[in-house]
Amino acid sequence: MGSSIRWKTTLPLAILCAFLLLFPKLVGSYFLHLAVSGILAMILASSWDILARTGQVSVGQAGLFGIGAYSSALLYQRYALPPVLGMLAGALIATFVSIFLGYLTLRLRGIYFSITTIAFAEALTVIWLMTPDITGGAMGVSTPPLFGGDREKAYYLILAILAAVVAVVWLIEQSRLNFAFTAIRENEDVANVLGINPTKYKVLAFMISAFFTGFAGGFYSHYNTYIIPYEVFNLGVSIACLVMPIFGGLYTIAGPILGTVLIKAIEEYLRVTFSYGHQIAYGLILVLVVLFMPEGLLGLWRGKILPLFRSRPGR
Amino acid sequence: MLKLKAIDINYGDIQALWEISLRVEEGELVAIVGSNGAGKSTILKTISGLIRPRNGSVEFEGKRIDGLAPDRIVRAGISMVPEGRELFPRMSVRENLEMGATYIGRARAQAARSLEHVHELFPVLAQRAGQLAGTLSGGEQQMVAIGRALMAKPRILIMDEPSLGLAPLMVEEVFRAARTVNREGVTVILVEQNVRQSLKFAHRGYVLENGRIVMEGTGKELSENRHVKEAYLGL
Repeated sequence: MGSSIRWKTTLPLAILCAFLLLFPKLVGSYFLHLAVSGILAMILASSWDILARTGQVSVGQAGLFGIGAYSSALLYQRYALPPVLGMLAGALIATFVSIFLGYLTLRLRGIYFSITTIAFAEALTVIWLMTPDITGGAMGVSTPPLFGGDREKAYYLILAILAAVVAVVWLIEQSRLNFAFTAIRENEDVANVLGINPTKYKVLAFMISAFFTGFAGGFYSHYNTYIIPYEVFNLGVSIACLVMPIFGGLYTIAGPILGTVLIKAIEEYLRVTFSYGHQIAYGLILVLVVLFMPEGLLGLWRGKILPLFRSRPGR
Repeated sequence: MLKLKAIDINYGDIQALWEISLRVEEGELVAIVGSNGAGKSTILKTISGLIRPRNGSVEFEGKRIDGLAPDRIVRAGISMVPEGRELFPRMSVRENLEMGATYIGRARAQAARSLEHVHELFPVLAQRAGQLAGTLSGGEQQMVAIGRALMAKPRILIMDEPSLGLAPLMVEEVFRAARTVNREGVTVILVEQNVRQSLKFAHRGYVLENGRIVMEGTGKELSENRHVKEAYLGL
């Protein structure tokens, strides 16, 4: 019984991995580009979800994304740091900022943290615009195409980062962190009297989240070859980070990824059919999900759809 | 073992506790009784570090612990069974119990033995090990909450209104468990509105009214006291 269940999960996973690895050989440039931006979004969504597991709703992921993007681009421009190292530097700088911001704000609970994160990302836009000598100001920063414009290499790089995120989330779920995160989310005082230091764990979750979000930002700047403050620090980026996991299913490995696939598909379809359509879709999805399927697509699947296919009664 | 000296607590402009002084010796079972809003839970929150006193001090084995974070106080050896049980309803009974030991180094090493011990104390929890905690009856949930606190291997166990909302038979069982734990060497502080039962089980007790301690004595002395009889026992 046990081995057949394992078989049932490993086989589809193996097929999925093979498909992802062969994907660039199967499709043209347009779909490869869609895949790259989709995977980038999955990384952002999963990173947001890691922090959300501790009950903290960040609405400022764009701040970390932008710090990663600018660190990487500026380090290339000033010191010719190779892009992949630049992305790593961006990730580390974003992590450093998250420690600072985390210790300042994560003692606060609930809405106060969320508000601070919005202010953080918005403040960065202003700072960037006011210091054009250092940051390039409103004109932005441009870099040469990543890997000389080789999309296939870019695809494999971003896929590897996604694999790393998934591996980290999996490790979290296997470790003591998982219960600590859940306990803090459900009742911080009780977690605290069980010996858990909530601030420590929240900052740790924020650091992991910031590392990958910063890395994604660095990748974005080199892949896109051009960044401006209005874009990378945009509230829209922060909102996208939270809509996708909420849609897919919170606190799961598959939820944020599944949510991203569907949202990106809807977004791409609407982008070609009418302008600003995807922003309306975000709003609608958020409202509908919160009202009718609070556990997201995965919850809907487990609770409503899967039972329809069970032939025998019971579990 | 535990000493509170002249504790004042304020919630904003409202003073909740006035010069609370009490002591608990090693091996004792001490009851703190009083009606709703007397300040009982506030005392416990002060001991466990969730609230910092404005004035006064809390000493545990000669060292001040007021001002320490709650997780440090648990590590020092004071565990709390919170009011309303506060289990994690979507985790299994076993996971809830294990949480009690997971984040405290010296307790984690002995978690398997502690779990056996909790199962001896409450055999029903062994049968319910895989069940989600949210599906248990109130009494069983209270057992899990006590078990979870014991998993941390405390020197002092603090119970906040363990009888609240339980059927009379269950109340009896919970108090008996408190006494068993106490006889095994854990100092117990019991905070209760159920004055009659808790004074029956306690070595000593304190009576709290409007944020002040108005009386102290052995369990027997207090339950025979005229004021206590009139005000709390309806005699």
